[in-house]
Order: sequence, then C-alpha cells, then structure tokens
Amino acid sequence: MLSIKYTLFSVSGVSSFIIFYMGVVNFLTSADESTGMILLIFSIFVAIGTLLATVHISKIITEPIEKLAKSMSEFSKTNKRAKGYEIKTNVSEIFQLNEDFTSMEEKVEKTITVQNEYVEKLKDMDRKKIEFSSMVSHELKTPLVPILGYIQMLQKENFLGDLNDKQIDAVNEIYISTLKLQRLIGDILTTQKLDLGKLDFNKENTNVSDLLLSILKEFKPIALEKNIILEMDYDENIHILTDKDRINQVFSNLIKNAIDFVSAKTGIVTIGAKDQDDHVEFFVSDNGQGISADKQSEIFKKFYQIDTSTSRKRSGSGLGLAICKGIVEGLGGKIRVESEENVKTTFFFNIPKN
Amino acid sequence: MKKTQKEESKKMKILIVDDNEQITKMLTTFLELKGHQCTIANDGNEGLSQIKENIYDVILLDLAMPEFDGYSVIKNLEDSNTLKDHKIIVFTASTITQDELENLVKRGVTAYLLKPIDIDLLHSKLVEIADL
Repeated sequence: MLSIKYTLFSVSGVSSFIIFYMGVVNFLTSADESTGMILLIFSIFVAIGTLLATVHISKIITEPIEKLAKSMSEFSKTNKRAKGYEIKTNVSEIFQLNEDFTSMEEKVEKTITVQNEYVEKLKDMDRKKIEFSSMVSHELKTPLVPILGYIQMLQKENFLGDLNDKQIDAVNEIYISTLKLQRLIGDILTTQKLDLGKLDFNKENTNVSDLLLSILKEFKPIALEKNIILEMDYDENIHILTDKDRINQVFSNLIKNAIDFVSAKTGIVTIGAKDQDDHVEFFVSDNGQGISADKQSEIFKKFYQIDTSTSRKRSGSGLGLAICKGIVEGLGGKIRVESEENVKTTFFFNIPKN
Repeated sequence: MKKTQKEESKKMKILIVDDNEQITKMLTTFLELKGHQCTIANDGNEGLSQIKENIYDVILLDLAMPEFDGYSVIKNLEDSNTLKDHKIIVFTASTITQDELENLVKRGVTAYLLKPIDIDLLHSKLVEIADL
C-alpha cells in the first residue's frame, strides 16, 4: 500500500538532493569561484525550501486525510461518529470530502435509529399479540368448565333425572364437539407457551417399548373403527431420559394425521423406534396420499393446512405439526419428513437419550 | 396408606371461592346432589373472611380471580400460620406450570385440579380427603 506522506517525502527528498548535487557540481566545475559559491548557497536554500514545503503540504493534506480515514474506520465499527476526529482544513477538496462524509454518517445514524424503532415496535406488537391470544384462549376455556360439568352430570345415570335415548344421543354429540373445542383451545395455548419458551418438560427414565405399547393401546380402537392396520416396529431394550408425556403428544398428533390420510381397509400405519447410539429415532409412517415435495417444508409452519379447500375432509387446527416441531426441538431433537406421493410418508424425530 | 374402594364420601361442608357464577352454580349443583353442603364466595376477600369465621371440611379455590386472587388467599393463610389447618383444592386454567402447582402442594395446599374441571376427579379427591 502506498502512503501519500512517504511518497511526498521521498519525491521531495530526491529532488532536494538533486538540486543540492547540481549546486555542488556547479561549484566544483565553475571557473568563477564566487559565482559557484552563490549557486551552491542558492541550491542549499532551494533544497531546504523544498523540504519545508513538503512538511507543510504533508501537514495540510495528509494529516486531515489520515484523521478522516481513522474516523471512517471507527464509524464502520460502531455506527456512531467518534469524538476527537474533528477536521479543520482550508483545502477545498478535503473540506468537501469531510462534509460529504459527515452528511453520510448522519444519514446512516438516522436510518439505524429509525430501523431500531421499527424493530422495537414489532417486538412490542408481537408481545401484545401473544398476550392477547393468551387472554382470549383463557377466556374461551372458562365457559368450558360449566359446559363440561353439566354434560358429565347429564351423562350420569339418574343424576339429574332420567334422559330418553334421543336426549342421551344429543348429550353425547354435544360432548364430542365440546372435547374438540377443548382440544383446539389446548393446542393454541401450547403453541403460545412454545412461542414464549414457557413449555415445561419433566424428564424421567423411560422404557421406549412400554411407551410405544401404551400409545398403540390408545389408538387401536380408532384404527379398528376405520378398519386400518396399526402396527409397531422397534428395537428392544431402549431406555431414554425424556418427557414421555410430550413424546406421547408428538406421537398422538402424527398418528392422528396418518390415520386421516390413509384409506380405509388398505391403510397401514406403523409406529416405532430405532436405537441410534446417543439418541433414539422415533417414527410414524403411513401408506396414504403423501405430501408433495413443495409442501414438505411448509407443513411444520403454524396454521398450515395441506388441503385448504372448504370441502376438505380433515378438520385440524393446523397447529399439530408446529407443536410436534416445538416439542421435539424443546427436547433437544429434530423432526423431518420423507414422502413419496401415493406411496409412503414417514415422519422421523430424533430425541437424545440424555 | 389404606386404599379405599368406597364410592360415596361422607357429607362435607364445602366453601367454593370463584368469581365465575356459572362455575360456582355448576359445582354447587353437583356437590349438593352428592349430599354436601356448599357456601359460595365470589372473590378472594370474601373467601378469606368465610375461612376465618367458619369451619369447612374442604375449600375449593380458583387461583385466577381479579384483584384478591387465590394466591393472595394462600399467602394470607400462610402468614397467619393456618394454611395447613385447611384442606384446599385449587383450580387453574393451565396458565401456570406444573412446577408451580407442585410448589403450592409443598407449601401446604392439599390438591390441584386443571380447568376444565373433571367432576368425577373432583369427587374422587373429596373421597380421598374424607378418608384422610
């Protein structure tokens, strides 16, 4: 890298030397001694003058440029104009450079301030949104208390008086819908807790095959009702320190999806676990309609529905997979999907053993 | 601990502290049909004065109430060293964590129930308390 200061000094140094040398040569070769002497003294003055001029030029040009350069490098690090780099100059080009730089700095500072204000506003809106939906879902939950209480009482034989068969059917239908509503509100609350990082995990030593068996038992009646096969495939003797209720929640969401996507009679849903060194790979696979490649990255997003048509057969909240992802990641694992349309879909989730 | 198969609990005097009238009405309907005697307090303050003036076998306490909430009731009883003299079942709509609920039990609350309240579960908790 070339420096103005050293270039200036070397050029003036060399030229002063040449002038001085010419003076000496003149003095030695001159016939007239006094003329030679005058020329020698003159050349000495010129050489000194050149050097002094160089020092002066260096002071008025290179010093402010150096200062400006330092100020710029400080600014690029901190985005704030540092103090102690004020420049005084009579050189118009440098003056202009300094003015332009100052106005650029002011603009950058202003832009950053405005941006930060926007970021703060957005953060605040996000907080308010979460608080609001938390309040709403809490308010939705409260009326469920008497609704479910009275349904339970009506379902008890002879508790609030006898019901006829049609009334019993009606109460049962109300009960099913109320449970769906309760589940939906629960999903929204779980999602909010995940957003706020407030979902708590209670890890305990868990036998994987026991866990899978209990899940299988829970979903066997639903599989039987839809006339599909629900089976297991797992390595024996896997133990894992994790939150088994949350793992159960992930499996429940995935199995419900799988059962919805397979056809009655030909449908097969397989759940299982593979032992992989320091983690366990759980999976749920089905031979249903599959998920196209372009949708595979979308399905873990909140409120995503694969089928958005109003005539769609499924009626989920669109929160199930987002909750699965949140739980799996909260337990230190990862979830992914592999799918071939109309052939097979498998959701894998790895959970660390400790 | 002795295990019991008994379905019906003995008749108890129960105080219900909840600001929601539909909830207190539903609980009263259920509990009175089960043969218990219910008193209602619509906020924490009223609940606390009832607790201090009368003797109840069980207190059903909602944690989330405006102003004087369930926590304040518990804190107040703790301060007068009488929390453990009462059998308190708290209700919550899951805005607090499992750890916080367990902590309340450690402090001397008898049990907790998550909203929506399963009335069969409430009944079995009452049976447990009656047998203590």
